[in-house]
Amino acid sequence: MFTKILVANRGEIAVRIIRACREMGIKTVAVYSEADRDSLHTLLADEAVCIGPAPSGESYLNMERIISATVAMKAEAIHPGFGFLSENARFAQLCEKCNITFIGPSAELIHKMGNKSEARKTMMEAGVPVVPGSKEPVRTVEEARAMADQIGYPVMIKASSGGGGKGMRISWGPEDFDGNFQNAQMESVKGFSDDTMYLERYIEKPRHIEFQIMADKHGHVVHLGERDCSIQRRHQKVLEESPSIAISQELRKKMGETAVRAAKAVKYENAGTIEFLLDKNKNFYFMEMNTRIQVEHPVTEMVTGMDLIQEQIRVAAGETLSVTQDQVRIQGHAIECRINAENPEKHFMPCPGLITNVHTPGGNGVRVDSHIYSDYRVPPNYDSMLLKLIVHGKDRKSAIAKMRSALGELVIEGIETNLDFQYEILNHEAFQDGDTDTHFIPTYFPEYGK
Amino acid sequence: MLRDMFKKTYTLIDTKYRSQTGREPNVPEGLWRKCRKCSQPILGEDVKNNYYICPKCKAYFRVHAMRRIEITADAGSFEEWNRKMEFSNPLDFPGYEEKVWAAREKTRLNEAIVTGSCLIEGEKAAVGVCDARFLMSSMGHVVGEKITRMVERATKERLPVIIFACSGGARMQEGCVSLMQMAKTSGALKRHHEAGLLFVSVLTDPTTGGVTASFAMLGDMILAEPGALIGFAGPRVIQQTIGQKLPEGFQRAEFLLEHGFVDRIVPREEMKETLGRILKVHRQETAEGVGYPADPMKNSAKKVREAGDLRENGAGTDMDGIGGAVEKVSLDVENPEKTAWEHVLLSRRADRPTAKDYIDEIFDEFMEFHGDRYYGDDGAIIGGIALFHGKPVTVIGQQKGKTTKENISRNFGMPSPEGYRKALRLMKQAERFGRPVICFVDTPGAFCGIEAEERGQGEAIARSLFEMSDLTVPVLSVVIGEGGSGGALAMAVANEVWMLENAVYSVLSPEGFASILWKDSKRADEAAGVMKVTAGDLLNLGIIEEVIPEREPACGENLGEIALEMDQRMGRFLRDYGARTGEELRTQRYERFRGI
Repeated sequence: MFTKILVANRGEIAVRIIRACREMGIKTVAVYSEADRDSLHTLLADEAVCIGPAPSGESYLNMERIISATVAMKAEAIHPGFGFLSENARFAQLCEKCNITFIGPSAELIHKMGNKSEARKTMMEAGVPVVPGSKEPVRTVEEARAMADQIGYPVMIKASSGGGGKGMRISWGPEDFDGNFQNAQMESVKGFSDDTMYLERYIEKPRHIEFQIMADKHGHVVHLGERDCSIQRRHQKVLEESPSIAISQELRKKMGETAVRAAKAVKYENAGTIEFLLDKNKNFYFMEMNTRIQVEHPVTEMVTGMDLIQEQIRVAAGETLSVTQDQVRIQGHAIECRINAENPEKHFMPCPGLITNVHTPGGNGVRVDSHIYSDYRVPPNYDSMLLKLIVHGKDRKSAIAKMRSALGELVIEGIETNLDFQYEILNHEAFQDGDTDTHFIPTYFPEYGK
Repeated sequence: MLRDMFKKTYTLIDTKYRSQTGREPNVPEGLWRKCRKCSQPILGEDVKNNYYICPKCKAYFRVHAMRRIEITADAGSFEEWNRKMEFSNPLDFPGYEEKVWAAREKTRLNEAIVTGSCLIEGEKAAVGVCDARFLMSSMGHVVGEKITRMVERATKERLPVIIFACSGGARMQEGCVSLMQMAKTSGALKRHHEAGLLFVSVLTDPTTGGVTASFAMLGDMILAEPGALIGFAGPRVIQQTIGQKLPEGFQRAEFLLEHGFVDRIVPREEMKETLGRILKVHRQETAEGVGYPADPMKNSAKKVREAGDLRENGAGTDMDGIGGAVEKVSLDVENPEKTAWEHVLLSRRADRPTAKDYIDEIFDEFMEFHGDRYYGDDGAIIGGIALFHGKPVTVIGQQKGKTTKENISRNFGMPSPEGYRKALRLMKQAERFGRPVICFVDTPGAFCGIEAEERGQGEAIARSLFEMSDLTVPVLSVVIGEGGSGGALAMAVANEVWMLENAVYSVLSPEGFASILWKDSKRADEAAGVMKVTAGDLLNLGIIEEVIPEREPACGENLGEIALEMDQRMGRFLRDYGARTGEELRTQRYERFRGI
C-alpha cells in the first residue's frame, strides 16, 4: 500500500480524498494555489505545497509543478479527483514516466474515452447500444430522408459545424422531414458556410442514467448500480439520486451487465462511469464514459456501503476488488444536493465571498461533504460548489423527507447560495412523483432554466 | 481559523510501497527543459510536436537543420546534395580546424548548411538550411560553395530555390575568403534569376552580417519567422557605435516588415503550407498556361448561389448573355436621374466595398506580400498573388479602411511613394513569372504630405507610368470607387480600364477643380458636372472600355452580384489578352494611350 499520496485537487473533493487516506493511515500531501492558503484541504493534509498563483492554469493545471511537488515530497501516487487534470491523458502519461502511480485508468484509456467518436465506436464494437445516427455526413434531402427512415423517427437534424441550436431541427415524421432538413441546412450554410448535416434519433424526454464501474488490475469488474442525474440545469447536474425510480431490478441487471461488458472490452481499470440516455420506452443508449471519480459518487456509496475513494486507492496499489458482483447490495435510497455559491435570481451568477457563519445538519443518514467553514472566503477563481448534502433513507419517500429536513437545517451566511432552489425542487410534486427527465428544470422552473 | 488545529494522520502502514517498475518517483533526465524566454519548465516532447515553439510563451526556438527539413519537406522526399565537403583553412588559422571538428562532432553535420532537394506539398524545390549550432552558421568557403553548387544545379534542373537563412555573418577564421562568398552566392542567384526561376528566402533567428548582405535579401519573396533578429550590423555593435539605446523591436522581423524589406511574416506552423502555395503558383507550366476556363461560374458554390437572381435578369454564363448585360448597362448609365455629383458622393460612400472585398469575393487564396524593399510598407496599397479560377494572377488594390482606426492605417486610401514602389515591384515580379496583373483603383489621390514629397511622390508615380507601359503581361485596371488623378493613373496604365457604374475618375477632385478655376470649393457639384468624371462620360470619351453595372449602389449586400459580373468579364479579358504575346500586349497598351 502507498505510504503517501499527493492530492492534485482542491475544495470538497480534495478533503474527501484526504479523509479516505487518513482512514487508511496513508499520509497526504495537499497542493494549493495562493488563493487557497486557508482552504480546508490545505489545512487538513499532513503536508501542503504551494504550487502557484490563483489562476488554475498556473497552479492546479500545471503538470510540471504538481509532478515536481510529488517527487520532492516523496509521495508515491497522485489522486487527481475530478476536473482539473483528472481526465488529462498527458498528465497520466507523465506520471507513468516519473514512476508515480496515477490513481485512475491508463493514459491510453483516458485518451480513447475522451475522444467522442472513438468512444462511440469502441462501445458499438462491445455491443453497447448507442443513439442511432448517420455515420457519414449527408448533403442532399433525398439521401437524408432515406437515412431518416433507417434511423427511425423522431429524428434530430444537426449541422456539422452547428452550435447553440443553430442548424438544428427535430423532425417528427416523414411528412415534416424535408422542410426541417432544408431549413436546418440553410441556417448552416448562412451561419457557417457548411452544408454537411448529421442525423440522429431524437430521444424524447430522456433520463440521464449512469452506472458506476469499479475495476482492478486483475481483470475483475463490478458495477455498483445506477445514479439518476436527470435534474440538470444547462447540462450541469443539480441533484442526483440512487437508485433510479425508472429502473426495475431486471433493467438494472441488463444495463449493469452492459456497462461491465463495455469496461471489460476496453480492459478498464479503476473507477469509471458509463452514462446512458434512457428513453420513455426504457431503451438505453450509451452517451459517454467518464474515466474518473464523479461529484455524485456519494449516493452510490450510501446505497452500497462502499468507500469508492478507498477502493480506488486499493486497486491502484494493485489489490483486488473488495467485492464481487454478487456481494454488491443496493440498500435504501440516497439523494445528493449540490450547494453552490451562486444566485438563482441572477441567472445563477457565481457569488464568491466571505462565509460568515455555517451550520451543517447531521444525524442518522445525513452526510456533508464540504470544505467550507465559518470565516472561510470563497475565492472567485474556481467552480462554485461549496457543499454536497447527501441523505440516505429506507426508500425514496423517506430520503426526500430527510433531505427536506436537512436542507432546512443547513445555514450558510454571508454569500448567496442555491439552497432555496434545491428546496423548491424537493417540494415539487413532479419530483416527488419521480416524474423527472432532463427537461425537468426548463419545464417546471422555466425562470431558472434559462 | 483552523490552522494547525487538526491532528496528523495516524499511520498504520510501515512497509514502503514498491511501484511496478520498482523505482522511486523521480523526473527522468531530459524530460523537462527550461524555456530561455519565459524560464518555465517545458516538456521536450511538447516543443518537438509544436514546431519548436514554447508551448507556454510561444517563443521560437532555433531549429536544427535536419529538424527543419523534417517539418518542411514531404516525408521521405529529401535528398541531400554535396553532403561531404573537404575542410579548408585558407589562412591556416590556428585552432580553426579543432573548432570545426568539435562542431561536426556536436551537430553531426559536415558544415553549417545542409543542401539538397525535396518536395514541399508535392512541389519540387532545391533547399538550403543553415544550422546555428555550427559556429553560429557563419559563412566560410564550404558554406558559400555548397550554396553556390546548389543554386547552379537548381538553375540547370530548372528548380526553384528555398534557403532558410540563419547566420552570424562571414566566418572570421577564413578572412577575405569568407567575404568573397557573399559575391559568389549572389552571382549564382543572379544567374538563377536570369533563367526566370524562383528564389524564396526565409529569414530565421538570427540572420545578420554578410549573409543578410548577400543571399538572404535576394529572394523574389522574402519570408521571415516571427520575432527573428534580422540585420546587417548586430544590435550590440550599433549600440556601441552610436552610443544610443536601440528602440524596442529594432531589427526584429516585424520591424523589417514595417520598413518594407520582408514580404510576409509566416508563423512556423504555416511555413510549409505557405511555401507550398508559393511554389504551386510559380510552377513553370502554370506560368505559361493562359487558358482560362470558358465557364467561370463553375468555380465556387458561393458564387453560383449568388448568381441566381442575376441570371433571372438576363445575364447568363455565355458570352451572349454578357453582351446583353453590357448593352443594358449603357442604357443605365445614361439614366438622367443621377447627377455627376451624386456619382461622386456614391463613389465615396463609407459602405462601398473596398479592393479587399472584391479580391476576397472574386479570387481564391489571396496571399498578400508587403514592402517596397526601400523604405516601408504602405497600408494604402495591398498586393499579392491570388488564384482566378485556379490560375495565378497578381492582384493589387488601393485600399480604404472601413473604420477610423483602419482608415488611419490605410491612410484613407491615399498611397505614399512606397505604396507605388511596392505595386511596381509586384508588377515586375508578375511580369517575370508571366502572371497577368489586375488592379483595383480606389483613391482620393496620392498622399499629399511632407514625407511623401521627401521620398519622391512624383518620381514614384512617373516611374509607375513608365514601367507599366512596357509590361509584357496582360494588365487590367478596374476603378471601383474614386479614381483620383495621378494617384489613380499610377495603377491604371492598363490594356483595358473598366469602371463601376458609380465610380468616378478625374484629373482632380471636383472640390479642387472648383477652388482652382472658380476660387470656390463649394461649387464642387457644378464642377463635377462639367469635368465629365462619371463612368458613362468616360466611356463616351473613350478613356475606359467597360462599365460594370450597379443595379443598386455597391454595398456589402450586392457585392456578390457585382463581383460575379466582374468575374465573368475578367474571364473574358484574360482569355482574350492571355492569348497575345508580350510584344502585342505592350504595343496594344502603348497604342491605347497613344491614341488619346
